[in-house]
Amino acid sequence: MSEYVVVTGASRGLGLAICRDILDSGMSVVALSRTYSTELQKLVASKPELCHFVEADLADLEHIPALCKSIVKTFGRPYGLVNNAAVGHDGVLATMPNGVIDSLMRLNVQSPMLLSKYLLRSMLLNRKGRVINISSIIAKTGFNGLSVYAASKAALEGFSKSLAREVGKAGITVNCVAPGYMQTDMTGDLQGEKLASIKRRSPLGKLASVEDAAAMVSFLLSDKGSAITGTVMTVDAGSTA
Amino acid sequence: MNIEQTVKRAMSDVAQLSDCQLIETIEPDTLLLQSGLDSLGYAMLVAQLEEELGIDPFTELAITVYPATFAEFVAVYAQGLEQKRD
Repeated sequence: MSEYVVVTGASRGLGLAICRDILDSGMSVVALSRTYSTELQKLVASKPELCHFVEADLADLEHIPALCKSIVKTFGRPYGLVNNAAVGHDGVLATMPNGVIDSLMRLNVQSPMLLSKYLLRSMLLNRKGRVINISSIIAKTGFNGLSVYAASKAALEGFSKSLAREVGKAGITVNCVAPGYMQTDMTGDLQGEKLASIKRRSPLGKLASVEDAAAMVSFLLSDKGSAITGTVMTVDAGSTA
Repeated sequence: MNIEQTVKRAMSDVAQLSDCQLIETIEPDTLLLQSGLDSLGYAMLVAQLEEELGIDPFTELAITVYPATFAEFVAVYAQGLEQKRD
């Protein structure tokens, strides 16, 4: 198999777009997801040599070491990891169930940390690699009803900066991509006047698409991104300008 | 090759890979931090041994205190291999 990238949350939305873009660049993909969506099945069928699906529930932290071991055993040392899987439960903090806070932090923060920990090891031996964590502009701007989600994304940004310092000597870059509001299943509830207002206030008069954000991920994965590490690349059609 | 020799050889491979200079003689009571490998070098050593031996004893045995000496490090791997055999 050619050099491959592990992409989490690959069944739909941004994860699926990232898989498509990586495959278009000629690299292989190991797509992790809880569900094997029809769209992902089609993508795998279109490039069966390059795209492989692995079923995984990443909120199940106990199984992440064994999952990583099995990925490396099956596909060899990974070139890159894109931590995209996340949940975005919204609701005011005062009434958010504690179990929801716990599960969000597990999937959005601890799971990327553990995947990075175990998949980085192969990259260390290869003396090259890429870790890309999908953040959100919410990490810095804040948004009513998304305090826990925002905290999880801010945590990923802090994690990425320090990890970049830790593994830079081994030729591995670690970055975040922070998309703005995109029309995906995760932001499906954001509609009507709120959505229109975000579009209106964006300098480009539109939302960034999942393809726009995926293109940034591909750039960071490419040789052209080799001098970029420890930073956050914002793709939001200018919303935070 | 016994486990001690395997670890010593892996240390030397990793030192080369990470541009570290190992001390000449590694004794059982040599402190890991004074063997010439830096912390990233140790991460690479654990990765290298995982590829060779198929175990990561620190995760599998849930070891929370990192061994201080070479002998303690080797003992962790011996224990990990024993558990794998059982």
